[in-house]
Amino acid sequence: MTAQHQLVLAFETSCDETAAALVADGTMVRSSVVATQTARHAPFGGVVPEVASRAHVELLDEVLVQALGEAGATLADVDVFAAAHGPGLSGALLVGVSAAKALALALERPYVGVHHHEAHMCAARLEAPDLAPPFVTLVVSGGHTLIAHTTAPGRHEVLGQTVDDAAGEAFDKVARLLGLGYPGGPAIDELAGRVAADAVRFTPPMLDDGLDFSFSGLKTAVLRHHREHPDRPVADVAAGFQRAVVQVLVTKLMRAAAATGAPTVVIGGGVAANSALRAAVVEAADAAGLRAVVPSRALCTDNAAMVAVAAHERLALDGPTPLDDGVYPNLPLSTLNP
Amino acid sequence: MIVLAIDTATRRVGCALGTADGLLGEIALGHAGKATAPRHTEQLTPAIETLCAQTGVSLRDVGAIAVSIGPGMFTGLRVGVVTAKALAHALAVPVVAVPTLDLVAWPLRYARHACVVPLIDARRNEVYCAWYRPVPGGVQRDGDYQLLTPDDVAAELTARRELALVCGDGALRFAAAFEGDDLVELAGPDHAAPSLAALVDLACARAARGDVCAPADVVPMYLRRSDAELALEARS
Ligand SMILES: [Zn+2]
Repeated sequence: MTAQHQLVLAFETSCDETAAALVADGTMVRSSVVATQTARHAPFGGVVPEVASRAHVELLDEVLVQALGEAGATLADVDVFAAAHGPGLSGALLVGVSAAKALALALERPYVGVHHHEAHMCAARLEAPDLAPPFVTLVVSGGHTLIAHTTAPGRHEVLGQTVDDAAGEAFDKVARLLGLGYPGGPAIDELAGRVAADAVRFTPPMLDDGLDFSFSGLKTAVLRHHREHPDRPVADVAAGFQRAVVQVLVTKLMRAAAATGAPTVVIGGGVAANSALRAAVVEAADAAGLRAVVPSRALCTDNAAMVAVAAHERLALDGPTPLDDGVYPNLPLSTLNP
Repeated sequence: MIVLAIDTATRRVGCALGTADGLLGEIALGHAGKATAPRHTEQLTPAIETLCAQTGVSLRDVGAIAVSIGPGMFTGLRVGVVTAKALAHALAVPVVAVPTLDLVAWPLRYARHACVVPLIDARRNEVYCAWYRPVPGGVQRDGDYQLLTPDDVAAELTARRELALVCGDGALRFAAAFEGDDLVELAGPDHAAPSLAALVDLACARAARGDVCAPADVVPMYLRRSDAELALEARS
């Protein structure tokens, strides 16, 4: 392994995507393979942990072999093996972690366990190589909603998070009650894009209130509206809901940037693939004279390339993770700080 | 040929190195009981590392990975199966996938009983089980791997009216279900856990016959579907 050419093979199995990627030097994606389990969870209207865990085992070989093939690499070429070790579903996390540890053992290379949220924050760097702290990141998906201030490499301060549902969870629940199927995010995004967003209005929750989020009340408001006005076009309701969510996410991200003085805002996570959110973040950052880093959609949703980037950085900061490391379903981001 | 054997189908974490001539060494952590929380994810890779160091075997000298594929504890099975897959990819060697119940029955192949019945605790008052007959040189499975209640197993044993040896952690846990049946004997705690020596024995024999598979073809034998799937099926 040389400092110039460090090849990281990473796995991401924390929720419902089975992913493997090879990234060189923490900057160059040699391959990034994601096998989605969406169809397996669709009949249940949400991610079922046991179904996800079984699917990860079934899909693991395929993503590994494909990632190596697309990178034109063999396992012997790999310098570091990594996996997201938390937070997430414990039975799912241990698939990627067990694979990475076993490969590291057999090939006598370091293993690095990575925080899933830190990986989301690192994803942006693949397309914005000059991105350096300080910056604030909004990580928003079906499992997480938080704003963190990165003050130095690997050093993050959580400024706000959801007090109940994750934003992506609210998308799924609202999509279900509007009969839009699963997953809800893309369905609402698509439908809302076709109509003016202000035919139906919902109050953005906790808008004027600090940096924490709450989405369960908004979900209830949509349900009540839908019951009271069953004839209202579903697209109008979906657009109104999405607008409220986007408004609160962007407002708090900009508030966090103002409070910290950070010159750059970053987004990541599955909900960061939402068209309206992406446009609103760029617009708000422009207006405030800040830089917005909005990674391509494939880097926002769960993937292993982001895990590889985070592993590259973590290895330099902390050294390898011991092989008796486990999985951490509720790992707080603050545990990463020295 | 040296085989690396992995069994994490119960709360115990086990690995062994051996050849057709027997074990070179084994490590077994925790036990089939419930005194401590299982730590499969944390313990398996370090156990293999220690085993190699203490036996002086390099993983590069291993010719096949043998893995106990269940039925058993879902989490444990996944750690064992995924570790076996990854090692097989890394070392470019095949996998021998062995059902866990075979590993409980095999050490009792010299029993004078008409049948050997391993039971693995499946929780929720159920056991994974299968019927085996001791035959010259081994045991022969008679029927499928099943998920049953201890009472179902007891009723089946009574109906068969033959001398039976019941073993495995399920036999200890549900001993009461077999009380009063004079034709049923229970094996003791020595036969509670799947045998790592059996895994090496069976894997060497299978590997010699070419009965191996690619890592991608190894899947855990769950026998029980997820609660969500059962609930969905019940609704429709
Ligand atoms: Zn995520």
